Amino acid sequence: MAATGTVAKGEETPVASKLMKPIRAALLGGAFWAAASVAAYAQEALKIGGMGPLSGGGTSWGLAAQRGMDLAVNDINAAGGIKAEGKTYKLELVFYDDLYTAQGGKAATERLVNQDKVKFIVGPVGSPPALAAISVTNPAKVIALTNGYAPGVLKNDTKDPYNFRLYNTNLEFGPPIIKWIKENLKEVKKIGLLAPNDAVGQAVAKPLAADYEKEGFQVVLDFFERGTKEFTPLILRMMAQKVDAFEFDGNSPGDAGLMLKQIRQAGFKGKVFQVGGPAVDEIIEIAGPAAEGFMTYDFIDWDMPKAKVLREAYIAKYGKGIISPFMPAFYHGVYMVAEAIKRADSVDTAKVRTAMEGLSGFDIGIYGPVKWIGKETYGVNRQLMMQYFFSEVKGGKIVKIKKFTP
Amino acid sequence: MLDVLSRLDILLNPTVLGQVVVNGISLSAIYILVALGFTLLFGIMRVVNFAHGEFAMLGAFAFYHLTKDFNWPWMIALPVGVVGVAAASLFLEWLVFRWFYQRMFESMIGLLGLNMMLIYGGVLIWDTHERNIPAVSQDVFMAGDVIIPIDRLIVVVIALAALAAFYVFIRHTRAGLAMRAAAQDVETAETQGVDTRWIYRVAFFVAILLAALAGSLWGQIYAVSPHLGERPLMMAFIVVILGGMGSIPGAALGGALLGFTESVVGTAFGAAASAFLSFGVVILLLVFRPWGILGTPES
Amino acid sequence: MTKATKTGLWALGGIALVVWPWLTEDKFLHHVGVLILLTAIGASSLHLIVRTGHVSLCHAAFMAFGAYGSVLTVMRLGLPWPVGLLVGTAAAASLAAMIGPIVLRLTGKYFVLITFLIGEVVRMAIVENVALTGGSNGIFNVPPPAEIFLSNRAYYYLALAFAVLSIGLCARILGSEFGRAMNAIKDGERLAECSGVPVVRFKVMVFIIACALAGMQGSLMAHYNKVLSPENFSGIISLNLVVMNVIGGMSSLAGALIGTVFMVMLPELLRGWVNLQQIFFGAILFATMAFMPGGIIEAARRIGALLRTVRAPAGAPVARPGAAE
Repeated sequence: MAATGTVAKGEETPVASKLMKPIRAALLGGAFWAAASVAAYAQEALKIGGMGPLSGGGTSWGLAAQRGMDLAVNDINAAGGIKAEGKTYKLELVFYDDLYTAQGGKAATERLVNQDKVKFIVGPVGSPPALAAISVTNPAKVIALTNGYAPGVLKNDTKDPYNFRLYNTNLEFGPPIIKWIKENLKEVKKIGLLAPNDAVGQAVAKPLAADYEKEGFQVVLDFFERGTKEFTPLILRMMAQKVDAFEFDGNSPGDAGLMLKQIRQAGFKGKVFQVGGPAVDEIIEIAGPAAEGFMTYDFIDWDMPKAKVLREAYIAKYGKGIISPFMPAFYHGVYMVAEAIKRADSVDTAKVRTAMEGLSGFDIGIYGPVKWIGKETYGVNRQLMMQYFFSEVKGGKIVKIKKFTP
Repeated sequence: MLDVLSRLDILLNPTVLGQVVVNGISLSAIYILVALGFTLLFGIMRVVNFAHGEFAMLGAFAFYHLTKDFNWPWMIALPVGVVGVAAASLFLEWLVFRWFYQRMFESMIGLLGLNMMLIYGGVLIWDTHERNIPAVSQDVFMAGDVIIPIDRLIVVVIALAALAAFYVFIRHTRAGLAMRAAAQDVETAETQGVDTRWIYRVAFFVAILLAALAGSLWGQIYAVSPHLGERPLMMAFIVVILGGMGSIPGAALGGALLGFTESVVGTAFGAAASAFLSFGVVILLLVFRPWGILGTPES
Repeated sequence: MTKATKTGLWALGGIALVVWPWLTEDKFLHHVGVLILLTAIGASSLHLIVRTGHVSLCHAAFMAFGAYGSVLTVMRLGLPWPVGLLVGTAAAASLAAMIGPIVLRLTGKYFVLITFLIGEVVRMAIVENVALTGGSNGIFNVPPPAEIFLSNRAYYYLALAFAVLSIGLCARILGSEFGRAMNAIKDGERLAECSGVPVVRFKVMVFIIACALAGMQGSLMAHYNKVLSPENFSGIISLNLVVMNVIGGMSSLAGALIGTVFMVMLPELLRGWVNLQQIFFGAILFATMAFMPGGIIEAARRIGALLRTVRAPAGAPVARPGAAE
C-alpha cells in the first residue's frame, strides 16, 4: 500500500507499547469487526492524492509536502472525517514521487488518476511536474491544487480547467514588496541578482529583474549552474560592478544561506534580501551569524493559533529540525479540499470545483483569510492569495517588519 | 577580444585578486584531495569509484556530529571523524569493493549502485535539508585591500599539510613504494613478493581518508547534506581526466588547473562561461591526448 | 524446440502485444506500456553501439536533438508531426555524423568519458539557450502527433509500430554480414582491420543509425509527454539506458529489451517506497555487476543449464553457461 500514513505510524510505535501490540491487535481486531459492520453504511474511504520530489535534489520539498498532507489527513480523520451526501468520508493519503521532472509528474499523475482513482490532488511542488500533471488531471476532471511558479500553470488554453494554485507567486507579491524596498531602503540603487539556471531560477529571475527595473532600480543578473557551492567568484564580479544590494530569490534555501555567508566573507557591507523563497530557517542555519540583517519574503506566521499547534504536532511526529513552509502550505491545501467537499455536500468534482471557487475568506488559523485572485494576470480566478510579510533576521530570529494582506 | 580584455580588468583590483587567489587555492586543494583518492583506486585496483563522493559525505557528517552533538573541538573532531570513516569503510571494502578489483567496467556500474545506496541511506538517516558545521572562525584576515576569511585559510593549510603527508607516504615509505609498484604493473609486483591484498587495503584506506578529509573541509566551508558528494565527485572525475587517469602528479596538476579556472574565469566572465570552458578544454584534451596531461598512453 | 513451436510462440507474443490494451481500461497500464516501448527504442539502439565495443553516455543528447528538433518544427514552423519526426531524426543523425568520426577513435574508458562530457555540454546548451528551447522550464503544451493520440491506448499502438520497426532494424543489422563484422571488431579491432573491415567508418555508420533511432524516440517521447524539459535528457537518462543493457545482459539484443522492461517497471512497482527503492536499485546494480556481469540473460541461462543437468543423465553433454555469445 502506498499510503504513507500507515508506514509512518508503524515507525513511531514506542518500544514499550510494542509488547502490547499483539494483545491490543487481538482486542481491536474483534472490536473493529463489530464496528465496521455497523459503520460500513456510514463511512467510506476517500483517497486524496499528493506528489512531490521524494528523491534527488528537491527531496526536502517533497517530504515537507508529504508530511503536511499526512498531518492534515490525520487531523481531519480524528475530527470525524468529512461529511457529504449523508456519508462520512475518512481521508486516505496516496503520495508519489514526481522526481521534480515533467516525465515523473506525468507518471505519478497517471497513476493517481487512473489506478488509484483519486479525484482530488494537492501538489506537485515544481513547475515542470505541475505542467505535466495538469495535462492529465484537467481532461479527467480531477481537482488539482498545484504549486509551481510558471504562469502557464494557470494561464493556458485549457477549456474547462480543474486546477488551482496553492500559494502566491512572485507575480503577486513581487511588485508590492519592491515598492516597499524603494520607499524604505533608500540607499539601494543597484541590485545584484544571483540565480540558478534551473527551472525555478529561470522562471523567477527575469520577471523579478523587470519588476525592479520598473521601479527604477538598476539590476545586474547572473545565472550559475545548479549544484555550484562556491559563489565567491560571482559575488566578486558583482561587487566590482558596484552593486549596493544582493538579491537571491529563486535559490534553494541551502544555496541562499551559502551565498549569504560568502557575500559577508567577501567583505560586502550593504543590504542583502530576497523577494521570494521563504524558507528562512534553513538560510539562517547555513549562514549562521552572517544571516544578521538579511531580509526576506515570508508567508508563514508561526504565532498564528493553528500554525503553533501544527508546528508542535510536526516536531512530535518527525522530530526537531528545520520546517519547510511547504509543510503548512500543503496542510492547508488538504483542508481546502475537505472544506470544498463539505460545502458542495458532494464528491462530484464539478460541484466541488464550484465550492472551491467560493472559498475566499476561508481561514483555519494558518494564514488568516485567503482569497482567490488572478483574473487579470492569468484569465482565471484560481490563484490563492494569503497574507505575506517582509521580514528581517535580528539576533538570529526572524522578525516581521511589514505585513501585506490580500 | 577587447571585450575579453576589459572583463579581465576586474582581476587588477587588489581586493578581487587576493580573493581570487585564495579561492583558487582552497578549491584546488579540495578537488585534489578527492581526486587523489579517486586516481589511486583507479591506478592500483582499476576501480572507477563512482561512490567516492559519498565517502566525502560520510566524512562531513562525522565531523558535523562530533562538533555539534558531542561538542568536540574541531582539532580533535576532524582527525577522529576522518580516521573513523576510513576505518569503518574497510567493511565496505570487504563487502563491496573487493569484487571489483581489476574489473574496470563492472566497477563503474556496480559502484554507481553503491553510490545510490549511500546517498539514499543518508537521506533516510539525515533527511535532505542542508546543515551547517559551526565555523572555526568568523574573522577575516585583512592586509591592505586584501580580505581573506580565516576559515578558508585554515582549510587551505590543512589540505596542503595532508597533501604533503601523502607525498611523503607515497615517496618514502615501504607501503608507498609497494603501491607505486602495484600501480605500474600488478602482476610484476606480485611476483616481486608484494602482497596485493594488503596493498589494496592500504590504498583503499588512504583513498577514503583523503575523501573524508575533503568532505569535512567542504562541509566546513559550504554545507552538509546527503547530496554533498555529487559535486566533489564530478570535479574529481574531471580533474582525473585532465591530469591523466591513474597519475598522482596528474591529479595534483589537474586539481590546480580546474580550481583556478573556476575562480578566475568565474570572476571575470561568469559561471556559464567557466563551466563551458572547463568542459570544452577537457573534451579537446580527450580527443587529442586522451591519457591526460601527465598520464601515459596504454599500449 | 522445433521451428513450428518457435514460430507459434512468436505469433502468440505478437498477438498478446496487440490485444492486451483492450483487456483493461486502466490508462495507467497503457501509460506504462507506452513508456516501455519507447524506452526499448533507446535501449536497443544503444545496444547497437555497445556491440561495437563502446559504451556511450550521451545517448540522451541525441534524444534531445530529436525531441527539440521535432517539437520546434511542429510548434514554431507549424508543420505537421511527421515532418517534425523526420527533422528531429535527421538532426540527431547529423550530430552523430559530426562527432562520430572524432569520438569513435577513442577506446574504452576514454569513449565513456568523452561521451559523458558531450552529453553534459548538450544539456547545458539547452539550459542556457532560453530563447530557443525555453531553458530549464522547457516547452509546454506540445501537441500530440494527431488528435486521436491524446488517448494513451492509441499512443500505445503508435509506439508499438515504431518500436517494432526500430527493434526489427537493430535485430536485422545484428543478424547480417554487418553484424558479423561488428562482432569481429569487438573481438579484435586490429585483426578486423587487417582482414579488410574499415573499422572506424563502420563504427560511424552504426553510430549514426543508432543515434537517429534515439532521435526518433526523443520525438515520440516529447509529443507523448506534452512537456519537454532538459532534465529528460540529463546524464542520468543516458546512464539508465546503459544500465538496462547491463542488467539485461550486454551480449544480446534480448538482454537490452529485458533490461528495459525491468527498469521501467521497477520504479512503478516500488513507487510508494521511494528512498528504499533507490537503495534496493543500487543493491541490484552492485549484485549484478559483482556476481552476474552477464545480466538477467546469463542468470536465466545458468538456471536453465542447471535444470538440464539435473534432468539429463550423468555424462550427457550439457551446454556450458555463458558459452554462447
